[in-house]
Amino acid sequence: MRTVSDGRRRRLLSAALACAALAGFGLAGEAHAQRAEPCIGASWELTGAFAHQAQQIRYGATAAIEEINEKGGVLGQRLRLVAYDDQGEPARAVDNARRIGERDNCIAMLGGFRTPNAIALREPLHEMELPWVGTISAGTAVIEFPTNKWMFRVSMKDRWVAGFLLDRAREASKSGKVGMVYEATAWGQGGLADAERAAAERGVTLAAKETYNMGDADMSAQLIRLRDAGVDAIVLYGNDREVANLLRSMDRLGYRPAIFAAWGIGARLAELAGPLAEGVRVAGTFSWLGELPDRAKGVLARMQALFPEIRTPADLLHPSGTANAYDAVHIIAEAIRIAGRFDRGAVREAMYKVNMTGLVADYRPAFEPRPDRHDAVTPQAYRLFAYHNGQLLPVEQTPHRLAARAN
Amino acid sequence: MTNTLQYLLAGLSIGSVYAMIALGFAVMWHAAKAVNFSFGTLFMLGGVLAVVFSWRGLPLLAAGLAAIVVTVAIAAAIERAFVRPFNREANAIGWMLTTIAAGVMLESATTATYGSLGHPLPSPLVEQPVRIAGAGIYPQELLLPAALIGITATLELVYRRTMLGRALRAVAFNRVAAGLVGIDADRITLIAFAIAGFVGALAGFLVAPVVQASSTMGVVVGLKGFLVAIVAGIDSTRGVVLVGVLFGVLEKFLEGYVSTAGRDAIAFTAMILALLFFPQGLFGRRLVQKV
Repeated sequence: MRTVSDGRRRRLLSAALACAALAGFGLAGEAHAQRAEPCIGASWELTGAFAHQAQQIRYGATAAIEEINEKGGVLGQRLRLVAYDDQGEPARAVDNARRIGERDNCIAMLGGFRTPNAIALREPLHEMELPWVGTISAGTAVIEFPTNKWMFRVSMKDRWVAGFLLDRAREASKSGKVGMVYEATAWGQGGLADAERAAAERGVTLAAKETYNMGDADMSAQLIRLRDAGVDAIVLYGNDREVANLLRSMDRLGYRPAIFAAWGIGARLAELAGPLAEGVRVAGTFSWLGELPDRAKGVLARMQALFPEIRTPADLLHPSGTANAYDAVHIIAEAIRIAGRFDRGAVREAMYKVNMTGLVADYRPAFEPRPDRHDAVTPQAYRLFAYHNGQLLPVEQTPHRLAARAN
Repeated sequence: MTNTLQYLLAGLSIGSVYAMIALGFAVMWHAAKAVNFSFGTLFMLGGVLAVVFSWRGLPLLAAGLAAIVVTVAIAAAIERAFVRPFNREANAIGWMLTTIAAGVMLESATTATYGSLGHPLPSPLVEQPVRIAGAGIYPQELLLPAALIGITATLELVYRRTMLGRALRAVAFNRVAAGLVGIDADRITLIAFAIAGFVGALAGFLVAPVVQASSTMGVVVGLKGFLVAIVAGIDSTRGVVLVGVLFGVLEKFLEGYVSTAGRDAIAFTAMILALLFFPQGLFGRRLVQKV
């Protein structure tokens, strides 16, 4: 009996040791999962129709990382940028996010240009508990959804942009009739919903709403309907190529309403549309043209040193996106410092404690733990730009501050 | 009335582009009973290469001419490398895959070297629109229907009055018999693909100042041109021209009077219905084969 009892005791001891070992492995695994690498991942459209937009983000993000590393990095670690190409496709963006979160084990991820790609990341980011900071994609639904814990943004938000643009369009309209033109994409349709909501909040209705397909070369039909509805100011959600075609269609018809556009259009519109772009106004967060503060001058010089293709500030085709990306990296770095360790959960909590001055805005605090304040850039920091003599300038530096477009 | 005229003018312009693309498909089909499925790529090259040559300092017309010459050479090379070797057997379909592959390669190479963005091709004919009874159109856009009429008339003339045209018709009628009477059918097919390349490149060059020349500008246009060719009856030169123009006008009237968002869905449905009732195409001949 004694022998049997000893054997049983030994087996019990072995089982207990095995359980302890397994628990130890588990704890070790958990600790390992919390210990993220000092890299910032990104899924961008490095090839494809909007590859130039990804490049604009890369300029700002790289400059910020260089700046941080020159000063010793974060918590003694040098930051790295790990960027993968999603070719503008949401499914590839999801694959890339999984590589960043699971294989590369990065501390955070930067967002890109396209709203549908950002929306596709909502679930995977939540599963991986990976903080994501958007830099351009302005769709309201990217941030404002009930379960959002991990997605932040240093960019504009369409819900706020729509109200901002609508107010300016109403100021410029002589007939009091403001219309809306939007591209037939998720971003454009989201913009329409936001503009309708903004109009309802202000007790007005949009006099006409028109859409067009990507690649359309002639928008005469839509413009004729807007003109016949008496619209003399337009809120516009479109991209460079189609907006250039829209301006040509206006030129054909001799119809020149005031245009207030979301930032799908950038510095390239002036190249594509030539003098027809004069006076088109665009919402944004930053311009690298004109007189710059000292800090921005330094960032511009750094970007020009890193990327020789930036010969002049006019080569920054999405000036706001570049500045947003620069600020986003600094906010992530500051959150890591506050967290005191490379732990995604701790960094997410620290995001609400970041207080700093960026190129775009004073972030005090950068974020707040409520759905509409996972956006760091509030409407107070939104600015209006206008095309003048082939350049996209702050509207104050142009003759288009209040006047409708010149005929 | 002014609005209707506006839609008509815009439809004639874009319809002429569809017609030229469809004409290119018809010319290729005549000679080889095969086509370059990525014909939209040649249309794109006509515009993109004109922009590139203009960057190199060539004046507009010279840039356009150079772009067309290079595109014609590429069109001929595609026939030689991607169609002929895969179209030897009766009912061969390998050329479908190879021409699509060639198109993808050319488009990717263009994106890699020229960039993903569209670029303008400056032309004095898009500086000011002209007014016709209140409707506006750029003179550059009026060149498109003019070019279409010129090309169609020239092709008719070539087909009917020249040795080359007779050879093209002979090869189209019976490739083996044409060979037996001393016609080099392979050479004639090569020339047909080059002619098609010329038509596509000319359309791309003419439309580039109105839209922007980009590596993707040929995708939708190529698809619609092919659709027009099939619905019209790909062996009818006059048919593809007429249906191409009508398709462009139909699109604009749909945009104007029915729905902008539903334009493509409605237009494509109309085309499918037309094909349902006229399986050989609206102007196609019933093919009778003795077996």
